[in-house]
Amino acid sequence: MRSLTVDQVVGSVFAAFSLLVLWETRGIPFGFLAEPGPGAMPTLLATALLACSIAVVVGGRSGKRAADVKWTEWRHAVGILGACAFIAFALERLGYRLTILVMLLVLVSIVEKKGWIAGIVFAACFSFATHYLFNTLLRVPLPQGPFGL
Amino acid sequence: MVETLHSLANGFAVALSPEVLMYAFVGCLVGTLVGVLPGVGPLGGISLLLPVTYGLDATSALVLLAGIYYGAMYGGSTTSILMRIPGEAASVMTCIDGYAMTQKGRGGAALAIAAVGSFVAGTLSILGLMLLAPPLAEFALRFGPPENFALMVLGLLVLAYMSSGPITRSLSMAALGLLLGMVGMDTMTGLFRFDYGVSELGDGIGIVPVAVGLFGISEILLSAGRDSKAEIRAPRLRELLPTRQEWRASAAPIGRGTVLGFLIGIIPGPGHVISSFVSYSVERRLSRHPERFGHGAIEGVAGPESANNSATSGAFVPMLALGLPSGAVPAIMLAAMMIHGIAPGPLLMQQQPELFWAVIASMYVGNVVLLILNLPFVGIFVNILRIPYSYLYPALLAFATIGVYSVNSSVVDVWMMAVAGLAGYVLRKLDYEIAPIILGLVLAPMIELSFRQSLAMSAGSYSIFFTHPISAFMLLIGLTLLLLGMRSMFTRAAGPGALMGIEPAAGPGQKQP
Amino acid sequence: MLRTLPAGFLILLSLAGGVAAQEAYPTRPINLVSPYPPGGAADLTARPLAPALERALKQPVVVVNRVGAGGAVGTQFVSTAPADGYTLMITVFSISTIPEADKVAGRKPRFTRDQFVPIARINADPTMLIVHPSTPWKSVKALVNEAKKRPNDIVFVSAGPYTVAHMAIEVFMQTAKIKMRHLPTTGGGPAMTALIGGHAFVSALSTGAVSPQWKAGKLRVLANSGAKRLAAFPDTPTLKELGYDMEVYLWTGMFARKEVPPAILKTVRAAVGKAVRDSEFVKASAKMQMPPDYLDAPEFQTWWDKDSEMLANAIRRIPQPSK
Repeated sequence: MRSLTVDQVVGSVFAAFSLLVLWETRGIPFGFLAEPGPGAMPTLLATALLACSIAVVVGGRSGKRAADVKWTEWRHAVGILGACAFIAFALERLGYRLTILVMLLVLVSIVEKKGWIAGIVFAACFSFATHYLFNTLLRVPLPQGPFGL
Repeated sequence: MVETLHSLANGFAVALSPEVLMYAFVGCLVGTLVGVLPGVGPLGGISLLLPVTYGLDATSALVLLAGIYYGAMYGGSTTSILMRIPGEAASVMTCIDGYAMTQKGRGGAALAIAAVGSFVAGTLSILGLMLLAPPLAEFALRFGPPENFALMVLGLLVLAYMSSGPITRSLSMAALGLLLGMVGMDTMTGLFRFDYGVSELGDGIGIVPVAVGLFGISEILLSAGRDSKAEIRAPRLRELLPTRQEWRASAAPIGRGTVLGFLIGIIPGPGHVISSFVSYSVERRLSRHPERFGHGAIEGVAGPESANNSATSGAFVPMLALGLPSGAVPAIMLAAMMIHGIAPGPLLMQQQPELFWAVIASMYVGNVVLLILNLPFVGIFVNILRIPYSYLYPALLAFATIGVYSVNSSVVDVWMMAVAGLAGYVLRKLDYEIAPIILGLVLAPMIELSFRQSLAMSAGSYSIFFTHPISAFMLLIGLTLLLLGMRSMFTRAAGPGALMGIEPAAGPGQKQP
Repeated sequence: MLRTLPAGFLILLSLAGGVAAQEAYPTRPINLVSPYPPGGAADLTARPLAPALERALKQPVVVVNRVGAGGAVGTQFVSTAPADGYTLMITVFSISTIPEADKVAGRKPRFTRDQFVPIARINADPTMLIVHPSTPWKSVKALVNEAKKRPNDIVFVSAGPYTVAHMAIEVFMQTAKIKMRHLPTTGGGPAMTALIGGHAFVSALSTGAVSPQWKAGKLRVLANSGAKRLAAFPDTPTLKELGYDMEVYLWTGMFARKEVPPAILKTVRAAVGKAVRDSEFVKASAKMQMPPDYLDAPEFQTWWDKDSEMLANAIRRIPQPSK
């Protein structure tokens, strides 16, 4: 079996997604033609997406193969996405300064291998300076964590 | 006319008094700094800083707010151009060619053109605001739900027509964006859709976190793994200014963007976002070399930046003339007036002429202050690019977090940014364009609401779209465009161009090592 | 999962904070949560109240806007915040309508009224029943007669489902036994725009929004939904005196979590009682046309229960979209 094209893969994922949306829409009132309910537009759009994604699959028999896409930077990408998830998880628990400090330290010292001293100095200066500038001076509300940090 | 000039002169007398001038300057500076945060545009900037103005007198407060608003508007383009992180939703289009210019070492020129374009658009649109506000506001009032629906449909069709040929890929992306726009409370019935018990999703999927994620975070994900030295070259000092040729190429787009943005801005809704999309596709259609778009065409920066600036001024037309907000920013400005005991209404101009003209004058002053403030900043900001990428991108991540979080103080928005970042990364890796998702997300709630509102007005009769003259007229134009588009679809093979005319199939992010 | 984790964490924090709170209150800054954005009614009340409270409590009072889902996000946030008296809330009548609207939509309420204890009502303004000036209705009677002649044909506009504009008209329709068609919008501004633009003919909006447009002749005021006439509209009758037995207010009140210790609540109550008489606060309220209409906790509790019951009844009678 030859490997699938990019379009076939993406089209199938989108088609699956639109079917999922259609399934999830079943509980929302559809209404009538004269008075469309909250479920009418999602149903219509999910059907449109389904049609488009089938067209993408059908039209994408030739073209770039999915297996040919090189994910050379995956190590960094996983690290950065992990950092994003960490920020979202920790922001309101550890507060802005601690969260950003840890995130910067991990990215600079571990993912980018710049050494611990550079990482600590950079992370500490950056997190406290930006907090002072935006939270204290410009009144942008940033979450506070334990120890008043 | 003479009377207007006289009043304006009095307004300038107030606006140029040292105290008021200081507030204008502080507002511009603060607005620029806050606006540099990804995601914090004029709306975010004003709502964050509105409470600060509660203690001031009315004129100073409004001047300060106007300064913050213009400052945030200017600041929004900085991160878009230098790092491909949209400073606000309306800067999405600036990201595409602005960042491509930065990659070629023309980042300084792009920033300078954006600043000058914003200045021209700002100044001209205040002129329009001053001279044409009452008649334009009356016209805007005639836009009810059926007219808005027709306008939105027409807008979509124009965008499709302006492109080089529909392809299923960008249609899917637009449909995906529209579908994502369905999340949240249904305004017609108060029912919640697809919120899965997460209260924050009741307001829908935010445009800001999705835009910052799809464009900004995905860019970080794509570039972090590459060899950081070769990619972006910080320009030398004399390369900061646009060349004579770049000036010439930008003049017409700035003019068109100003007019387009002002007209779109008057009509209620997120006009400044839509105006930048429309301006970009107009410039691309009119260009003799549309293939340059997406690879650093200066017109793609000049047009949308001017358009979104004058659109937000256009939004002030119904506010100053009638006391009616046509969008979120004017609504907050109205609240600011009420806090200071000024009843914003149709009689504002007669009852509070000093205040009215002082605010108008301070808008001119603010634009000049910003130009003076921002051109030197270009040199400073461009130097950010000299920071090694392994330090720069973690910092960018932090800035994006502050920006996205602070708009609603919501961690859910930060999660959304992360998910959108992953989605954008994968889609760009696979050569899918992502701008139509944003457009769909912006338009979906408005299209649905205005459609169903129209039917509520007409008790379910579809004839309302054809008995209202403005709506019928716009739908007729739309139909004509559709037929023209269909004809050309059959006569020529669908090329590789994009449906929305937004981003060429091979966008800037896809050049992989 | 996402929602229970922070709650558990916060309970831990509140246990730690509870010990300190027994000795003296307040010893650190107090957060006053407004579930509405800057410029909304709750925020406009909270901002001038905060410095007045600060003077009474001798501790900083910080207004925090926790915005989203028509007030549900902020209210829910307060319902799970530590019950140590350092998180208080200023909100409007959505605290009564949101749980009821959730119930009729057949979903689990995101919070319930009994999770909160009222501290004080700060103000309560009637809405103004307004019509487009091109309509022939010069009185409430004329409007009711016309609506009886053409049931479900006159279009009224609101700031969105279950907002004060919607509820006021809904209660009015149920009291007068008439039916009009609902055109919801996304806020007070768009609602006013739709009315002035002639896309809808009837609405009920706040005095602050109505009075400048009324002075310019852009709309006609038929009645107010309160118990007595307003100084700014001396010739406008109340719906009550016209024989429609109803009262709907856009009110703002201060709440805390039910679990907050009574001693702390007493301190806060006393401070609020002082703050609403603070001359700076009175001056600021007058500017915004939201004069203080203070009720202390016991009276507010009674009044709030009655108001909520009335709103809940009205919501249950609104026809729901069929599945």
